Amino acid sequence: MNLHPILTMTLLGSLLILDKYAFGEFGISMPLVAGLIIGAIYGDIRQGVFLGGIFQLIFLGGLPIGRDIPPDSQGAGIVACGSYFLMRPGNTLEGAIFLAAFFGLVAGIVGGALEILVRRYNEKLYYQFMRRENRLALYHFLGLATAFFRGVVLFLPFFLLAGIITYPAVFSAYTKDLLAIVGVSMGLANAIYLFAKRRTVVYVLIGGLCALALFVL
Amino acid sequence: MRLGFIRFIKLFLASFFIQSSWSFFSMQAMGFLFNLSRGVKDPDKKRDIYRVHRGFYNTHPYMSSYIVGATIRAYDRGEKAEDIVRFISVAQTSFASVGDQLFWQTVRPCLLLVGVILGIQFGWVGPVLFFVLYNILHLYHRGTGLVEGYRRGWDVIYLLKARRITLPQQLGEGLGALALGFLILMAPFNFRALMILPLTGLFLIMLFRKFSAVLIIIIILVIFLMTIIFMV
Repeated sequence: MNLHPILTMTLLGSLLILDKYAFGEFGISMPLVAGLIIGAIYGDIRQGVFLGGIFQLIFLGGLPIGRDIPPDSQGAGIVACGSYFLMRPGNTLEGAIFLAAFFGLVAGIVGGALEILVRRYNEKLYYQFMRRENRLALYHFLGLATAFFRGVVLFLPFFLLAGIITYPAVFSAYTKDLLAIVGVSMGLANAIYLFAKRRTVVYVLIGGLCALALFVL
Repeated sequence: MRLGFIRFIKLFLASFFIQSSWSFFSMQAMGFLFNLSRGVKDPDKKRDIYRVHRGFYNTHPYMSSYIVGATIRAYDRGEKAEDIVRFISVAQTSFASVGDQLFWQTVRPCLLLVGVILGIQFGWVGPVLFFVLYNILHLYHRGTGLVEGYRRGWDVIYLLKARRITLPQQLGEGLGALALGFLILMAPFNFRALMILPLTGLFLIMLFRKFSAVLIIIIILVIFLMTIIFMV
């Protein structure tokens, strides 16, 4: 097992995940953009954007409102794309896609749980600040460290597993098509939930007509 | 009384770290205090700010700039601490609600949907377009939020009904609906309609019945595994 790409991917993922809450929220950690970045590093942008896009559709409706912590869509996308490129050399395309998707979905759930732990830990930083208020900057920026460490704890086990696992040949191939079907179905449901309103019906129809025109042409 | 360029830059950069130490108890309180401390020079005033505003603070991270701008102005003008606390407690919930609606529920999902459709068809164009458009709006609110907050003071709250909020909201809803219509017609042509339709129906029922997001992900995992078992 070559540890170098695993550690590099863990480091990259942990830096990207800072964008989720800890720094900026520019959208660089969203599965679609993270997929592009990881794909560009491994020289296969199309596959990176495809995987990131499918994960983006699955998690499109996960809204981080107030205290509610949805599954970690950003973590899921990074794990899926990273695992895919780590597994690809030793696996078939279908095998790598299936395992990457599986890892990504599990990472989404685990990442949400880790997020809760990090926020509880940050409470301790806040209590420390209450005792020594002249060290506000120190305790505040330690939050960046906890967010980074959460990324390492989340990504390293998945990427280590991706470095050693081989898709068993006994199972049939899980094709790219089937992953796309699940992703697009979830994306459609999320989009209907978010955007299908009485006042937007006209836009939905226009969009449909555009797709129809494109298909006919 | 001016915000000044140097102070603006300090506050603008600090605003990117508003959620760095987010916790369940105090939420963004440390981030908010850190933001305010970047706009105040006098150490005594800083100590006052730490004393008065320690506790709970939570709003939308991009919209926090409006509140920070108005609060800095209030401290520059020597307003009473109770009035400032009252303003913050009202403003944080109002800006949180509008920001969540504008960014989390409309602009971000609509641009992501467009980005995914373009990304699957044309590769890098989709994610790059999402990143650029999203950040134009995001940085606009972070930047002008500080300036407008400082200029208008308490009255910044009236901006919640301004075109800078309502226009992107309407455009986002329209664009999201347009992308939805496109996806509804495109999906069955590109993928197997017989599988897309029942799965979409199943996920829709779960979303409208408010199933927990974790449960939905577990159901997707089960669908993945069942497909494997049936294929063996």
